[in-house]
Amino acid sequence: MRSHLLVLLTFSALVSAVFAMLLRDDNEGRLRFALMAFGAFVLSAAVVGWIMHPFPN
Amino acid sequence: MATVVTETRRGAAVPACLFAWMLPGAGHLYLRRTAKGLLFLGAIGTLFVLGVAMDARLQMSLGLDDILASLFSLAQMAIGIPYFAARALGFEAGQVTSVTHEYGNTFTAVGGLLNILVILDAYDTAVGRKP
Repeated sequence: MRSHLLVLLTFSALVSAVFAMLLRDDNEGRLRFALMAFGAFVLSAAVVGWIMHPFPN
Repeated sequence: MATVVTETRRGAAVPACLFAWMLPGAGHLYLRRTAKGLLFLGAIGTLFVLGVAMDARLQMSLGLDDILASLFSLAQMAIGIPYFAARALGFEAGQVTSVTHEYGNTFTAVGGLLNILVILDAYDTAVGRKP
């Protein structure tokens, strides 16, 4: 798996699923939490990547 | 008449935690929380397998000379039998020159850290603090 984006999406999905299962007790809450956490992972990675873009080294 | 097992037993806490450490999700399967157990097994197991496939380093480093390396090893070991099985199968060294080496390290360590949370969740479930 050499695509950085694919690694990010895979990692975010798996970790979000575990956190949702741990932190919420009903299925609807789990789904909502997982989607929010997944979005937060991806968005924060994009923002941090954008901030670091001027500093490639 | 079918009965639903919802009671918890304090005596189940120790084996549940032990099973949860040995294999992600096994503690919940032991406590008959099948959906949770299978999700933990699938998600954390996938994290670890992908990490190993991405050339993670699984060398055991315990001691006070390099605290960060020791903590990293402890995090990986928290995933239980899969860690030791991967080492026994020859995936110990990883490949530091691989493009995905650091990704692999992250996947395996995070898998172990998540499994610590899963062990604590299994304990809470066993003693009746969680459904």
